[in-house]
Amino acid sequence: MVMKKGQFKIQQMAFMLMAVTLFFALVGMFILVIKFSGLKESATALEEKNAMLLVTKLANSPEFSCGEAFGSSKANCIDSDKVMMLHENIDKYINFWGVSNVEIRKIYPKRDSTEICDLGNYPDCNVIQLRSKELAGYDVSNFVSLCRKESLDGEVYDKCELARIMVSYLKK
Amino acid sequence: MVGFGMIIIIVAVILLVFLGFALRKPQKEVTEDYEVSSFVQAFLQYTTDCRDNLEYLSVQKLILDCEHGEKCLDGRDTCEVLDFTLKEIVEESWDVGKDRPVKGYTLKIMIGGEEILFLEEGNITNNYKGSEEYLPREIDIYFTAYS
Repeated sequence: MVMKKGQFKIQQMAFMLMAVTLFFALVGMFILVIKFSGLKESATALEEKNAMLLVTKLANSPEFSCGEAFGSSKANCIDSDKVMMLHENIDKYINFWGVSNVEIRKIYPKRDSTEICDLGNYPDCNVIQLRSKELAGYDVSNFVSLCRKESLDGEVYDKCELARIMVSYLKK
Repeated sequence: MVGFGMIIIIVAVILLVFLGFALRKPQKEVTEDYEVSSFVQAFLQYTTDCRDNLEYLSVQKLILDCEHGEKCLDGRDTCEVLDFTLKEIVEESWDVGKDRPVKGYTLKIMIGGEEILFLEEGNITNNYKGSEEYLPREIDIYFTAYS
C-alpha cells in the first residue's frame, strides 16, 4: 500500500513536470509568434525605402540634378538638358551607378503618344532613356521635377514639368 | 497542485503585461513616404501657363498669388488656374480605382491656417501614406494617398 502511494506521487510529479514544460513551451511559442509577426512586413518596407532612397539619391546626384541653374537649389529636380548630354555620353558611365537602365518619363503635361527623346526631337518628346533599351528586371521609380531652359519670343525662362525617374536593376 | 496554479497565475500576469505593451503600439502611423513627399516637392516646382509681368509662375508661386487674389497676365484667376492645374497633375500622377493599388487621395493646401484648396478622390482607407510640407509664408501642404 505504501509502495502504491509512492508510485502515485512519482506519477503525479511526472505529469506535473510535463504540464509545466508544455505550458512554458506554449507561452514561448505565443511570444515568438507575436514578436516575429511584423518582421516580414518591416523587411519589405525597409527594402522599398532603400530602393526609393537610391532613386532619390540618383536624382539629386550632380549628373542629374538642377543645381542652382533654375534659381535656388531644389530637391528632386532633374535638369533635362544635362540628362540629354549624359545620354549622348552614356558609354562613359557604364556600371557607374550599378543600375541597368535609367528612364525619365514625363507625366504632366500629358502627351498622347510615347516619343523617345533624342537630339533631333528634344524637347518635344516624353521619354528619356539613358540606354537605348527597355527597362528590365526589378525597377523602382519616384516623382521628380524635370526642368529645362525654354525660349519664347527671344526670352529665356525656366520650364519645369512633372516626371517619374525609373531605375531598373537586373535580378541577382 | 497549488504551486502549478501559482505558476500559471504569474505567467498569465506577465503575458497580459506583455500583450498590453504589444497592443499599445499604434496600428498605423502617418508615415512620411518618400514617393508622396517627392510628388509634393515635384508639383510645387511645376511651371504653369499663368504668367505675371516677370515670368511663368510655378505652382508654389501660384499658391501665394492665389492667396493675394491676383490674376494672370491673360486675365485668368490664379486660384482657378491653381485648382485646374493641380487637379490634372494629381489625376495624371495617381491612378485611382477600386482595383488599383491606390484607392484614393486627398490634397489640402492651407495658408496661415486658411484652406485655399482641397481635392479628394476615391475611397479613404486605413492604409495610407502621407506627406506634410511646411513652406515659407505659412504655406502648409497635406497630401495623402490611400491604398
